[in-house]
Order: sequence, then C-alpha cells, then structure tokens
Amino acid sequence: MTGSAKKAEVLHSGSQTLIGALQRNGVKQVFGYPGGAIMPLYDALVGSDLEHYLCRHEQGAALAADAYGRITRKAGVCIATSGPGATNLVTGIANAFMDSVPMVIITGQVPTALQGTDAFQEVDIFGITLPIVKHSYILRDVADVDGVVDEAFQLAQGGRPGPVLIDFPKDIATAVTAQSRYVPEADYQAPILDVVAVQAATDMLSKARRPLIIAGGGIAISDSIRSFREFAARTGFPVAATLKGLGVLPTDDPGLVGMLGMHGNGAANHAVQNCDVLMVVGARFDDRVTGHLAQFAPSARVIHLDIDPAEISKLRKADISIIGELGPALDGIRLRGAASASWRAQCDAWKKEFAWRYDAPGDGIYAPGLLRELSLARKGKMTITCDVGQHQMFVAQHCHFEHPLDHISSGGLGTMGYGLPAAIGAKIARPDSTVVCVSGDGSIMMNIQELATLKRYGLSVKIVLLDNSALGLVRQWQEIFFQGNYSEVDLSDNPDFAAVAAAFGIASRTINRPAEVSGAIQWLLDQQGPALLHVPIDPLENVWPLVPPGAANHKMMKSK
Amino acid sequence: MNHSLKIQLRNNEGAVLRALGLMERRGFMLESCTVSEAEGERRSMTVAVSSTRPGDLLKRQLERLHDVLQVELRAAVTNERKVPGLRPVTRRI
Repeated sequence: MTGSAKKAEVLHSGSQTLIGALQRNGVKQVFGYPGGAIMPLYDALVGSDLEHYLCRHEQGAALAADAYGRITRKAGVCIATSGPGATNLVTGIANAFMDSVPMVIITGQVPTALQGTDAFQEVDIFGITLPIVKHSYILRDVADVDGVVDEAFQLAQGGRPGPVLIDFPKDIATAVTAQSRYVPEADYQAPILDVVAVQAATDMLSKARRPLIIAGGGIAISDSIRSFREFAARTGFPVAATLKGLGVLPTDDPGLVGMLGMHGNGAANHAVQNCDVLMVVGARFDDRVTGHLAQFAPSARVIHLDIDPAEISKLRKADISIIGELGPALDGIRLRGAASASWRAQCDAWKKEFAWRYDAPGDGIYAPGLLRELSLARKGKMTITCDVGQHQMFVAQHCHFEHPLDHISSGGLGTMGYGLPAAIGAKIARPDSTVVCVSGDGSIMMNIQELATLKRYGLSVKIVLLDNSALGLVRQWQEIFFQGNYSEVDLSDNPDFAAVAAAFGIASRTINRPAEVSGAIQWLLDQQGPALLHVPIDPLENVWPLVPPGAANHKMMKSK
Repeated sequence: MNHSLKIQLRNNEGAVLRALGLMERRGFMLESCTVSEAEGERRSMTVAVSSTRPGDLLKRQLERLHDVLQVELRAAVTNERKVPGLRPVTRRI
C-alpha cells in the first residue's frame, strides 16, 4: 500500500455480494450444508454476521427454514451445494410451496462452462423445481447478484408467499464486480379492495340465517388475526378452522365449532354441511377439508376471501369473491346484525354432542389425553410442531392453541420428517416460546439425524415421541379400507428411541403407564436443554372421526 | 373444450418452459404453440389448449407467474358463470 489518498474501486466477489444482499434483506440466520460448488459462499460466510445453522441433511435445512419463515413471516433461507445437495432440498421446497411459506433457497451450481456436460454433481435444479417454486433464477452475471436477491425476497414475501430459488454457479460466486446492474421489478402492491364485492358480501351475510366462517392459514400468513377476531366477535358467526387455521381463535373460544374435514370434529362438519352462507377466509378447499366436493356445504352460497385470484372458483364455485389483503377486507364488511340465536344454539348443541372424550378404556397411555395435558401445561407461549400421521391429527384435535404460531404442521404436502427440523426453525425464530415437537415412530426416523443439530446448538426442543410400533395412519386405512390386509406397516423392530436420544447426548425417558404421564410432562418441560419423552401407545389406536375418502363430510365414521 | 391464449412474457431464462409446464400440470393439454422472437425484454406466445377446466382459471394461474406480464384469453368457450369481484390482473413491466 502506498498510503496515497487515491480511492480504489471496491471489488466484491459474487459470494460476498450475495451475503451482503441477504443481510440487507434483514436475514440474520440461515440453514444449510456445505459442499463442492457452494464452497465460495461458505468461504465468504466466515467472518460475516450471518448465523449459519448446520443441519445434518439438506432436507432438514429446508424444513427448518420453512418453519422459520412461517413464524417470522420473512423468508427463511436455506443453502445447499449442487447435485445431491440441491435435490435433497426438493421436499422442503415443495412443502413451503404447498403451504405458502416465504423461503429463499440458494443452491450451488457447477461453473457456467461445465453446465450441460453432466459435470460432477451437476443437476438442473432450476428445471427440477419449476413446478414447486414461486419463481427461480440462474445467476448468469455477477453484476446481477444484488438485484436478483432483492427481487427474490420481494417475490417470496409479497402477496401469497412462496419459495424462490437462486441457482448460483461457482464461477459467478468467485467473479468480482463493483457494479450492480439488475433492477428488481417485483415490488408487490396489494390489489385495491373491490368495494362492490365487499358490499355484496355484506348484503349476503346480513340475510344469512345459518352463516359459517371457515378460517384458513391465510389469516396468519397475512397477519390478519386481529381483524379476524374482531369480525368473529362483531358478527357472532360460528367459525370452523382448517388444519392451518387452528389458533386463529383460541381453542376454548365459544365461537369456534372446531376443525373441519377428514379428521375434523363432528360439530364443525355438521355446521358446514348445514350452513346457508359460507364465508371462506384464506383457505383453498383442499380435498382433506371438503370431502366429496359436490356434496360439500350443499345448501350454501360461498363468499371467498383470498389474496390469490387463482384460488377463486378453482374447486368450489364462489358466488362472491373478494381478492386482496384479508385484514382490510374483513374490516370492510360492516354488519349490523349478528348470527341468529337458534343457529348459534344448534352449533353449541353439536359442540356438546361431539365434544372430545378422554375417558378411554384400557391400561395404556391415551395419546390424545397426554397431548391435551401437555398443551395446557404451558407457561407462556408454546409452539407445537408435528410430523405427519395419526399423532399429527391428535395434535390438531386435542391440543390447546392460543395463536396460529402455536401450531406448525405440514398441511398441503403432508411431509413425514417435518416435525424435528421444524422445531429447530421454530426455536430459533421464536426463542421465547417453549417448543415441543410431537412425532411418531415412523416420522422421527425420516429426519432423526437432526437430533445432532439440537445437541450442537443446545436448542431446547422438547420431543414427545408417540410410538405405536407402526405406520399408524396407513395401518388404520388398511384396517378399514383394505380389509385388514396389512402391507409394510409393522415397525415393531424399532430401535430403543430413548437410547438413540441418549447417544446424541439428549436427555430421554420412556413411560408406559397413565399414572406416569403428568410427572413425565413436567420432567420434559423442566429440562434445560433438548429432551425426548418416548411414549409407547396402543398399536391399534385409531384416529376418529374419519370421513372416508370420497364421502360427504357429515358421513363420519366413529370409534366402535 | 378448447381455449386459445396470447401470453406476454418477460424474456427471462425458463419463462416459456415455466408457462408451458404450468398448463400441463394444471390439466390443460397443449394442442399448439407459437413463440415469437424476443422484442427487447419481452416476447409473446400463442397457445391452444384443451381441457375440461375453464380457461379463465388457467389465465389466473398463468398470471401468478412473475415471468408472465399479461394473458389474453381469446377463444374461451366456457359455460362458466361470471364471478363477481374478479378483475383482470396487469403488471407493470
């Protein structure tokens, strides 16, 4: 250095620029796994202010970023190398796409000159993920890095959120530039509220005799919880929630008739089948919600509120649609009248008739009762993540939620293996909350390696492992719909899960008797660091009620 | 039922693939497709598709794509009722 005052042009590598762009977009924590083609980015990560969480499989990183995005409502970021690193992210990307979760995915790629030559660890991740991203890029010029990252965040978080992938070739990561030439074009502008549609909805609702609201995941995604609660209180309309709408009203709110759908509550399913005006707020008529679509809410006219025009009349024809931000739309529907007393009384009667019971016969531990007790043992905030299967439905049916962020579940994709990585993302995003992961003996094995991530970062996640020695929900369907012809559902040779946890350095305990439940819940919640409670349950326990596939929602099968 | 659509796209890498892939995935079979040469930062594409699903649904699904600037549904022979509150989406370029 000469010490002269001459100002040199500051050059940054693509990797340095990308890290700077992440920070400019508010990113503090990222999830990932290094490898060959992404090494320049990991090189630049050292000494940066980004906190990187090393997961033990790229799927774990993607699913942790998914839960982080759900909770913060900012894009969760995950990073992987090219080839197998990138393909391992695919399930997590699809999970975020199906549940409208903001996510930015950075994948390493072989150098530009080698692309299309079947180079080592080359895969066309841009092509592979086209159906499951909101948008994606292959960086072709280092001067585009800044603008592309900004645009990726705008797209991931604007309107209906979703995953956005940036494929980052190694030569672009190492090239240097002082310039930024790409101008982002995605700045999201909410649609202007259609006052005519709002008035039409107000008129239809004011004449309704048996109005019902379906509360979907969009209410939490758009942070419209306050508006929704005010609307529900103002009108007195009964509310049924989808899986992702749980917590929009607290579980014990008198206006909540329950979760509807395949494993929904009888009260909610009867209410929806009997309503005359159905107002659907931020939900998309998933087949698990509607049952046989043609017989769903057969006498109802439908008012559909959603940010996404493509959801309107996709499955159920909307009589009135209101496209836009849910909060202002709900605030705009000013109703004078409230729901009729007789309809409220009918819904209350159904709630009483179909109330959950916890007086299960038998000597074993009754999982629904344990989960209810666990969720009521909360002191302050509690976030429950879960995997997919019978335990997931038990969580949705029986846990107490105060807020949608209390319940993090893989809805659209139904990803076994979601629960543990989701708990990691949840604990990092919501550190002041008790985070519980409820898993099953099938699901936990799909991402068991993330126990190492819990241990490494000392993340105080409490795992409740409900072990029925089977793929329980598949076994239940084989029992009911395949004449008991059990095929590949037996997991009775499971490992000793408490010993597995102990081997990872995680406190663990197994309980077998109902009398041990209360003490074990207290033990679990009192642990300072991560802990696992292993709970063997009756292998023949089923989830009730069940709307058989292809049946109308009121045709629920019940426990014999 | 046949639908004909004229689609204005950003001239981005993968834009044509993205639009065509969406059509097939969403249940619209591609009958014909003409892609114009790029004019500056955009290009246009004219497609004919067949489906039992309504063309306006495909139009709205295409309009969700960042690469799609505008969709014109030309020969929609649908029996769909008009849904109040639905308006065309146009984007700034």
